[in-house]
Parts: sequence; C-alpha cells; structure tokens
Amino acid sequence: MQAATMDPAEEPPSMLWGLDPLFSAFARLYVKDILQMTESIQVPGIYFYNRHPIYKVDVLGTVVYKKEREDFFCYGVDDGTGVINCLCWKSQLLKPEEDPIKAGVKPSDVGQGGFNPVAELKKLRQAQQERRRLELGELLRVRGPVKTSRQQREIMASTYYRVDDPMMAVQIEWMMEVPQLYREFYDKPLLLKSEGAAGISTETPLSKAANIMRRFLDQKSVTRFRTYDVQDLLEPLISNKPPSADEHSVAGPSACRQLQQLLKEVLKTLQDEGLVYQRAKFQDEVYYVTTGDKDLLIAVKDIIREDSKKNKYAEKGCHVLHILSAVRQRHSLNVSRAALELVLKALECSSDIISTSDNSYTAF
Amino acid sequence: MFLLPPAAEFRFPWEVNFVKEGESLRTFGRSVFHCVDLFDWLDLELVSYHPESSRASLSAQHASEEHQVLVDTIFIEPFNPIIGAQYVVLGEAEKYEGTGVMIRARVLNCVDGVNVALLQKAISGQRDFFRERESKQGDVAQPADTT
Repeated sequence: MQAATMDPAEEPPSMLWGLDPLFSAFARLYVKDILQMTESIQVPGIYFYNRHPIYKVDVLGTVVYKKEREDFFCYGVDDGTGVINCLCWKSQLLKPEEDPIKAGVKPSDVGQGGFNPVAELKKLRQAQQERRRLELGELLRVRGPVKTSRQQREIMASTYYRVDDPMMAVQIEWMMEVPQLYREFYDKPLLLKSEGAAGISTETPLSKAANIMRRFLDQKSVTRFRTYDVQDLLEPLISNKPPSADEHSVAGPSACRQLQQLLKEVLKTLQDEGLVYQRAKFQDEVYYVTTGDKDLLIAVKDIIREDSKKNKYAEKGCHVLHILSAVRQRHSLNVSRAALELVLKALECSSDIISTSDNSYTAF
Repeated sequence: MFLLPPAAEFRFPWEVNFVKEGESLRTFGRSVFHCVDLFDWLDLELVSYHPESSRASLSAQHASEEHQVLVDTIFIEPFNPIIGAQYVVLGEAEKYEGTGVMIRARVLNCVDGVNVALLQKAISGQRDFFRERESKQGDVAQPADTT
C-alpha cells in the first residue's frame, strides 16, 4: 500500500502533526489499512496513512477470536478486510469479586415511588458488563490507540462494546459510510497552511491592505481616525509594487493617486464589513471603529434596555431591524446593519445584552 | 502470540463456487436447513440430525437463478436453526465432493429482516472503493517506476 512504500525521510515533521485534524480523531480505517500503516520513526505509536498521522482508530467488526484473561479480553475483530487483535481491559465492574456498591445498598435506600437509584445503577453496570463480554460471531465496536506488540499490531481498546445488530443495519451503514470518509478525508492529502501560504503572494493589494488596516486598528485599539492618519500604513504597498510589465502604464496614475484609490477601496471594504463607519457622511473624514465607539455601544445598549421594557418587546426582545432603525434615529444615519451586528456581538460578549432568539435581543 | 484467523471478505452467494479453496469469506442467504446424512445429502433426504455430519444449505436468488450454498455447521453447534430465515455465514471454503464448494462455518448469524438489497449495495460500494483506490495507486506507482 501507499503507506508501506513511504520513504521514512518523507515522514511529515512531528511539529505539524497536530495540525492534521485526523491526528486527534478516531479514524475509521479498514483493518487492512491499520495493519499496513507505517509506524513513525520519530515517535513510535504514531502511524501514517497517506501521510496522515494517526494513533487511534475506530473499528466495527465480527469477533472471530477470543481469549479471556484475568484482567483483559483479547478479541480478534474481522471487518471483512482484515483481522486485528483488540486488547480490551476489564474495568473494575467486570471483576465479579469487587462490588463496591453492594455494601451501600440498604433496604432503606429504596426511594418513594419504587425508584431506587442504587439498584438502577447496578442494573446499568450489569448491562454494561454484559456488553463487554462477547462471543464469537458477535459484533464489536472498538475505539482506541494502535499499538505494536511483539511485531503484531493491535488496538488497545479505550472503549469497546457489543453492538446488537440483528438486521445488519449498523454494519450496512458503516460499510456505506467508511468509503465516503476515505474519499473525503483519509485519501485526501493534508494541505497545511504553510503550503497554502504560497498563495499570499497572489493576494490582491486590496485584501493585503485590508489586513494591514484590521491589524492596525486591533493592535493600537484605535477608536477613530482620519484618512490621512492611515495613509502611511498603506504606502509600502504602493511603492513596493513591482514595476508593471506593461510599459505603457508608466504614464498611468501617480503613486499618490494610486494610494488614494487604494485607501478609498480599503475603507469601503471595512465599511461593508461594519468594522468602521462614519457618523456623518461628507462632514469630515473621521471614521469610527465600530466596536471602539463607546457612544454607539451605549446608544445601542440604551435602546435595547428601554425597548425591552415595552410590552411589544418584553417577551421576544428587540429585533435587530428595530434596533437598527432606532440607532439611525438616535445616533447616526450611517450605521449599517453589519456595523450594528458587530456592536451587538460585542455587547453580548460582555453580557450587557442577551440574545433571545435569532436576531432578537433583550437587556435587563 | 495469538494466531488470528484470516480475514473473511464478503462474497455474494453466487460467487461462492468460484472462490479458492481455503479462502475465508462471508456470505448470506435464506436458510433451508437440511439435516441430512453425509452420504445422502444430495438426495436431500432428511435422515437424522447428526451433529458430526450436519449440513445446512443457504439459498439466494440472483438474476432469476436460485443459488445454493452448502454450509458445514460442525464448529458452531449447537445452534437453533430457523428454517426460511436469512443468515450470514462466515467461514472457509472447502471443495466438496469434487464439484461444489462447502463453507465450513465459523460464524452463522441469523439476520432475518435484513435489507438484502441495501447489503448488496454496501458490498458493491466497498468493492468499488477498493477497485478505485487500487487503480489510482497503480497510476501513481507507474510513473514512479519509470523514473
């Protein structure tokens, strides 16, 4: 298989393993693949399927071999592609001699109405116990890390139980689901961000500029700014721009004009996202950072608090559109819905308001 | 060291006669138990039930043909046969009397009520997946060989 032929040097660096979502999942691999995965040289106990680091698996199969020891069961599980040994430790409750709850059971514990939690718990444990003792031919679901002991691969069960499947519904579902999982996840190579980072160079200047702005506003806790305050931030994007291959563009817009244009587009993007807004258009070029604008936050909070007392909104809370029109009347006509939603999110995070249902909020 | 039995792949009842001797497999079918004497089984004459020579026969319909699968139940006795019920058998194929194949059952589970059409679909789906994967690996392996 692909795993068996993997060159040890090709092993993904262990630092990146945790970035693979399969690493922390119980992979529903075929037993055949579990038996053929290559073990990591860096860290024994980690295996690779298709360069995905895997250490715990989830298997459903027929018990075709069993051995009972004092402390554990060994079940050979056959899923139709291979047979793997599963080491299933007996928990305390599988050891008959130990019965810690027995001492606690007194007739006086029987509650009113015939419900006795102690007896119920005992029943539950008995049921659990029964599901852990399997006979040949029964269906076993087992999850746990893969181990190699004495050159034999096995599953150290962290959970295991008998599956009652009189009409094979569970098995059929499993058989149909696993190929899908393989196609969608296990057989797809992992694309780490570092590989995807190559795409940054193809990022448009606009998205680059928007990211710079977002970072700036966030890190410096800016509450408001004018366009010329941030102009410098974007300048490197213009001057560092490689000379255009098109010779004619030399006579194109000047760097200054380009900067103005870029700035305009960036501010438009940020406004569309609701991150910044202008209180009054054309009045001045002051932009307010939505969630940093204390006046706006207080205005929204007041609106919700006041209107939640009104009969109309008492039960369901104020709808976002109602808040929006109120904010526009009271605070600024230019508050967009996106901006308001950011404010609502911030207020909800600080528990100033509570969302009652989708798009509705209340406050006390 | 534990000696695990070989994996038993799913086979359709109509494929059973083509598997290699000794191969492990599992298949399904409606049971028609014939508790017959070893030498008389072809006559389907019910003589008596001898645990040491017990035979069961499973049948399945496929493309308007009736397929019979002979099962040796010696390893799984005693069991409670339900005539006419659906069963799944897991075991090793053995040549029987030169002509047919008999399955020496390790597991014989009654699964009456199973959605046979869905089970067939699941088995085919699993095979398609493996075929697809192997052909893909073949594609990948070939350019690697030439370099």
